[in-house]
Amino acid sequence: MRERILPRPDMPLHGPYDAVIVGAGVHGLGLAYNLAKRGMTHVAVFDKSYIGSGASGRNTTLIRSAFTTPEWITFFQESVRLWEGLSDELNFNVMFTQRGYLILALTEEKAELCRRAVPQQNRQSIPTRLVDTKEIKTIAPCIDTTAVRVGILQPTGGIARHDAVVWGYAAKAQKLGVEIHPFTEVTAIQVADGEVKGVDTSKGSVKTSLVVNAAGGHSPEVARLAGVEIPAKTYPLEAFVTEPLKPLLTPALICLETLTYLSQTARGEFVGGSEVDNIPPSHSIRSTFGFLELAAERVVQLIPALAQAALLRQWAGIIDMTPDLGPLLGEVEGIKGFVLDCGWGGYGFMASPAAGKLMADYLIDGVKPTQLVPFALSRFKENKTIREASLVVLMPEDEKPTGRAAAT
Amino acid sequence: MAKKIICLCMDITDDDIARAIEEGFDHTETLKRYTAVLMGPCEGKVCAMNVLKEFARLTGKTAGELRVPTLRPPLRPLPLGLLAAKRD
Repeated sequence: MRERILPRPDMPLHGPYDAVIVGAGVHGLGLAYNLAKRGMTHVAVFDKSYIGSGASGRNTTLIRSAFTTPEWITFFQESVRLWEGLSDELNFNVMFTQRGYLILALTEEKAELCRRAVPQQNRQSIPTRLVDTKEIKTIAPCIDTTAVRVGILQPTGGIARHDAVVWGYAAKAQKLGVEIHPFTEVTAIQVADGEVKGVDTSKGSVKTSLVVNAAGGHSPEVARLAGVEIPAKTYPLEAFVTEPLKPLLTPALICLETLTYLSQTARGEFVGGSEVDNIPPSHSIRSTFGFLELAAERVVQLIPALAQAALLRQWAGIIDMTPDLGPLLGEVEGIKGFVLDCGWGGYGFMASPAAGKLMADYLIDGVKPTQLVPFALSRFKENKTIREASLVVLMPEDEKPTGRAAAT
Repeated sequence: MAKKIICLCMDITDDDIARAIEEGFDHTETLKRYTAVLMGPCEGKVCAMNVLKEFARLTGKTAGELRVPTLRPPLRPLPLGLLAAKRD
């Protein structure tokens, strides 16, 4: 009999738990693994569907730390460092490949952003460099650089296999004693006297004094179970994959103006997406033809040779986005034991190794690692929002961020 | 014994399916992601019945009890250039 990797859905509850985590995606499972690694092994992770069923298994797997604000750079640099050792650490091949990450700017405004960002990134030890169209042609001859002004190359960025990250965390966490309960919905979070007391689930009630909301696109509903309104709204995000092609594009690729992202996987498929304007908040994971037309147009514009490539499949996921597009990390004021690791928007996958480790350190040591501090929920009340200008995200007009300008 | 190919696009055999189930990928959605059945160029149109029947047999379920993964659009592979063409 082969060793079982995934959890058995029929496992009973064995409470009380030291921690309950809502959401068995890369964040929930990554946190559970890190808690167990540090000795907190009586942990249960609940998911109302199969593990990795949300955005963890639906994203386009791009990984970088080349942002423009010190807060984002610091956090994601820790994540890239952990990505580098993740397959070894989990003894599970997550197929993280540092094929490079290329950011393209078409307008003078974004080109200037890139020129200012590189020195900041270098100061924070990220080996990025500005690349002109001639060098871009060398790195990726397939790119049409006619409209490109300048780019940033992060040689240490890349992609990983999303499902493998989910399974690797799940397997290792279970070996350390963590219980994973797929197809088990958390229906209530019991709070009394300003403290978390337990949760009700579709498998019954169980006591705990610590509940972590790692529910991704469902995080606003999970927060409501504890009586909390978090400043996050849920939006759908679509993606596509082509047939496998011979190696054509080495680095992962994003375009700051057309809000398009693309990479070629080890199997040869092109995986990508593009931001569609005026999407209302919803939990819909229906595919749209509008997305397909828009993404195809922008992708072919970047790489004309892909006009011949057959698109095999499209799908969608949901993401939770905050007003400044940054995550919500830490305990909710006034409810002892109710902790957030959500609001990641489209950046949760690449952030997950750092989030898992830093959140575990925070929960076990009781001291917030410096990387988490800027992303507290309280920043929205204190007018300390962070404006990260290199995000490939299109917000509805009335949701445009109003935070302070990038420090770079 | 001869190999029995279940998924022609990805060369997945009945043994591969059995092994995946033993490893805990005993739900159609996780089986799909682990073995890549239903995700080749046929998008399941050739393999889905084979996969579901074999999966049902190995797990002691009836095909009707299984959650059938969503058939993703487009119905047939389409060149990006065709999708990108401007509508007149």
